[in-house]
Amino acid sequence: MKSLHNKVLWPSLLAILLIWMGCEQQSEKPIISFFQFEKPPHFPEPTYTFRNNEVNEKGFNLGKMLFFDPSLSRDGSVACSSCHVQSHAFADTWLHPFSFGVEDREGKRNAPPLFNLAFHREFFWDGGVTHLDFAPILAFESEIEMDISFEDVVGRIQRNDAYKALFKEVFGIEEVTGPYVLHALSQFMLMMVSADSRYDQYILGDQQALSAVELEGLVLFRQHCESCHREPLFTDLSYRNNGVQRQISDLGRETITEVSEDRAKFKVPSLRNIEVTSPYMHNARFEGLLQVLNHYTQGVQDQENIDPLIFKDGKPVIQLSEDEKTKIIAFLKSLTDNNFLSNPIFFNSNDR
Amino acid sequence: MQNVKQIFSIITIVILSIVSYSCQDKEDPTLTTTGEMIVKFDNYVGNQTMVVDEVGSTNYRYTNNSGQKFNLTRFGYYISHIKLEGPNGELFIDEMNASADANQIKGYYQVVQGNSETYNIHLKGIPHGQYNKITFNLGVREDGIQEGAVGGILDRAAGGWFWNWNSGFINYIIEGHSDASLRDDNRVQIHIGGWKNIPSGDSTPQRFFDNNVDVSLPFDATVTVSNTLRPSPHIMMDLLKVIGDADLSTENNIHSPAAGKAFASKLAGAFVVDHTHQ
Repeated sequence: MKSLHNKVLWPSLLAILLIWMGCEQQSEKPIISFFQFEKPPHFPEPTYTFRNNEVNEKGFNLGKMLFFDPSLSRDGSVACSSCHVQSHAFADTWLHPFSFGVEDREGKRNAPPLFNLAFHREFFWDGGVTHLDFAPILAFESEIEMDISFEDVVGRIQRNDAYKALFKEVFGIEEVTGPYVLHALSQFMLMMVSADSRYDQYILGDQQALSAVELEGLVLFRQHCESCHREPLFTDLSYRNNGVQRQISDLGRETITEVSEDRAKFKVPSLRNIEVTSPYMHNARFEGLLQVLNHYTQGVQDQENIDPLIFKDGKPVIQLSEDEKTKIIAFLKSLTDNNFLSNPIFFNSNDR
Repeated sequence: MQNVKQIFSIITIVILSIVSYSCQDKEDPTLTTTGEMIVKFDNYVGNQTMVVDEVGSTNYRYTNNSGQKFNLTRFGYYISHIKLEGPNGELFIDEMNASADANQIKGYYQVVQGNSETYNIHLKGIPHGQYNKITFNLGVREDGIQEGAVGGILDRAAGGWFWNWNSGFINYIIEGHSDASLRDDNRVQIHIGGWKNIPSGDSTPQRFFDNNVDVSLPFDATVTVSNTLRPSPHIMMDLLKVIGDADLSTENNIHSPAAGKAFASKLAGAFVVDHTHQ
């Protein structure tokens, strides 16, 4: 009886299991690939809605094609990549303190770098865009950037047979629509994770990754800069006026929140890869990091909404000796993530 | 061997029942006890029917309460989160879903003046029973924005009314011309949007304004949803209730939550269920 039990029962259970599984809906999850988004262990949980748009290799590559495609600007002259250059952490080069859009129209704010975007809730210097998916719409439609309606962008893609086939392959759609264009671009940008600087290696346990001077710089950084440039993103994602406008002409965050209490406030930028993103500040006022530190220790003056963490009781709060500035700058340069800046997955492959 | 036969038959029954259970369509068991309703929206300007003219038209069909003449070149609004209620506890809550896939968008409707197909909202899956009240949200709330890129009527590339610089949908859009407006081409644009509130604190002001508006309208009569009855409430919307008192010489370029707040506060009063067809 025992053996019959085994002959009948277990195959039967197996059959039930197989039938049960066979009735499950087909799963279309891609096989685990190198192109999955991975949260660095020392980072907070990402805020991007991956449940609606999971990153996969084909979607990433499609997003890359779009990112490097100048035909998606009104006159075919500029692509996303024109102002977001990998070797500069996807900021613009120092040659363009303000980027140039179509017809060489000059921008009004310094192009921000692009990395660790999955961890941000708001985008651009004034934080008006509240989801990464929506960020490209503003760049396309801005008159001083790509100056083309998003409707026209999608129309151009839809009329391009190569794109159409790729969108079908990636998203299973016959007609290209706006949200899928945005999802592809997000997939490309989400993979721009910068978390492999020498600072990161140190945080993750490699005691040798930072030199003695850099370590002293880290201590000073935590003492003087950390409250706004909070680790590990090196921004607290808040909006502050650090007094970089001599006369307030750019209202910054006030444009979005419509209250004067936010006048001249801008999003605290990350300091990762700061070595390669000169010039600094929304108005590109400073070319070098020493100038930036000098601004905080001497240059900053009283102004409407000036941040009390940097200016209080009629004088700058942060006091640093020249030696301390040198050490902080040495530390800041340890935030350069060369693997990110030269990662070949981001290279333009449109001309292949 | 009797035992073996028993085992076989039990296993066969188990397999068959599992197969039939696991392979059956997950159908709504209440399907046979639900019906439909068609909610119709009619837009008016005072007692005049609403007509949309070509951009550039100087045919000013309408007059506001202070005598300023104007016309409309674009008009419409988003409706979402529809709820129906009845006298005996009947309740229908329209399913909501925001998705990149236009076919998966649920519970969002865009009434676009000039496109008569958009005037009728066809509600399905309503439990049989009596209904005498409709509630809806005028606009698109956070749940339609913070999921990221969405398709269909919410797709900016396909006619969705979306602010690119201050993310969010335009809940209620008015565009046209008025001889009172001194802007180029006498333009009037009143875009009412905004989906979040950051309330004021002891020393901080209110930031942002949620200009989504809850509209709750009693029917003029109780209607019945059944296998044979598909009622249709007709909702009338009067634009003059919203901009009748506006000064179009100054209030002609509204594009932000704070600027739209005064208009938003009047939106709920612009809608009324005029009559219902049983």
